[in-house]
Amino acid sequence: MGFDEFARAFLNYDSLVAAAPLLMQGALVSLLLIVSIVPAALALGILVAVAYDLGGPLRRRAIIVYIDFLRAFPPLVLLILIYSCLPFLGVRLSEFATVVVALVANGSAFFGEIVRAGIESVGRGQREAARSTGIGQVGTMVFVVLPQALRNVVPPLASNMVELAKATSFAAVVAMPDLLRNARTAQDIVYNPTPLMAAAVIYLAVFWPAVRLLSRLEQRMVLARR
Amino acid sequence: MPASAATGDAVVRIEGLSKTYGTTPALHAVNLTVRRGEAVAIIGPSGSGKSTLLRCINRLEEPTEGRVFVDGVDLTSRSVDINKARREIGFVFQSFNLYPHLTAQGNVRLALRLVLRLGRAEATARARAALDSVGLSDKYASYPSQLSGGQQQRVGIARALALDPKIMLFDEPTSALDPELVGEVLAVIATMRARGMTMVIVSHEMQFAREVADRVVFMNEGVIVEENTPDELFNRPVRQRTRDFLARVVRH
Repeated sequence: MGFDEFARAFLNYDSLVAAAPLLMQGALVSLLLIVSIVPAALALGILVAVAYDLGGPLRRRAIIVYIDFLRAFPPLVLLILIYSCLPFLGVRLSEFATVVVALVANGSAFFGEIVRAGIESVGRGQREAARSTGIGQVGTMVFVVLPQALRNVVPPLASNMVELAKATSFAAVVAMPDLLRNARTAQDIVYNPTPLMAAAVIYLAVFWPAVRLLSRLEQRMVLARR
Repeated sequence: MPASAATGDAVVRIEGLSKTYGTTPALHAVNLTVRRGEAVAIIGPSGSGKSTLLRCINRLEEPTEGRVFVDGVDLTSRSVDINKARREIGFVFQSFNLYPHLTAQGNVRLALRLVLRLGRAEATARARAALDSVGLSDKYASYPSQLSGGQQQRVGIARALALDPKIMLFDEPTSALDPELVGEVLAVIATMRARGMTMVIVSHEMQFAREVADRVVFMNEGVIVEENTPDELFNRPVRQRTRDFLARVVRH
């Protein structure tokens, strides 16, 4: 197979033009998923970590189970499980809501574990200082411990945000018309893989700079710690 | 010479205080009273329980037994509002424990905002006044990492002082400092003393204890061995333990 043949199949201009509206719609859905899921998962993760830190032994054990279970469970399996099981339990969720629930749960476990480690990295003296001035447990956590804890774990947090954003492409399996799914649909319409190629390029165009930014961030953190 | 010993009411009253870590006793049946306007220095070898005793006075350590009253409030009572009680008890740490993500002003202001619930402008003004009083008028916007150890400890003092406490507790406030920075911190404490602040100082600075304290308490192995005026305790110690300790630490 020569390059011409490859180009006709994968870089077909007419197919690209035909697929463009579908791809754009798909990209928009993917973007919507990302901005719904990533901030919510991060917020829930922080909440989980704080609840762990301020909790008694029983609550702590429950949170460990939550975190371990969701970190161990493959997110794609979780998504399909929720998608196929909930209707039997009488719960009717839209595809969008199903994807959000599954990936927010998955993401919150990873973020929760990272933030928990961040909280533990803040010295005991910081809390003692705040408490000694009469600031309560919650105020101490929000204004003294968390800002330092989050700063200490920016690289792993950012890296997991990218991971989670990429995982939104799982939405395609539950018939969400996201970028990947629409690319497959367009592929069936134009009878060649050019739309899929275009989707791949769009994914790369978004996530490659994100990953590069991440590396820079990590380097800066290492330098700052010296 | 120290200011004359106050004859006022007790700001701190400690009764039968014991503290054990697991099975290791750190304090054993300690009684101590600090009167209003009085400066008490606690000295003793490391591991003698002096820091633990100080930390029990604002319940950074939970006493195992005994009672601690501060300004009439029983801190060891189950129903005590510990956050409210701690407003009145300034605490200065050996390692400063400044918030690294906040400026000097931010460090002092946080409790004014959260605890006293002052508005931003009022809290800022009061934070700056506290920093002024420790000689840091030009460092409002500096982060702890930009300050020397002595300056950091003075921010730590300002942070406690801004809440207008009834008593100040100093836990080896100069132990983490380079020798040339000790003086500026001791000078600030001496100024507070001259203004009549009630204080308890755990210190290795014998000369300072002698100059600033009305009363010196010598601790060893979790008990108060001897307490007296600085003059008596340093020049005519009664107990053998005290004499041994002083012979080791006081250079003649």
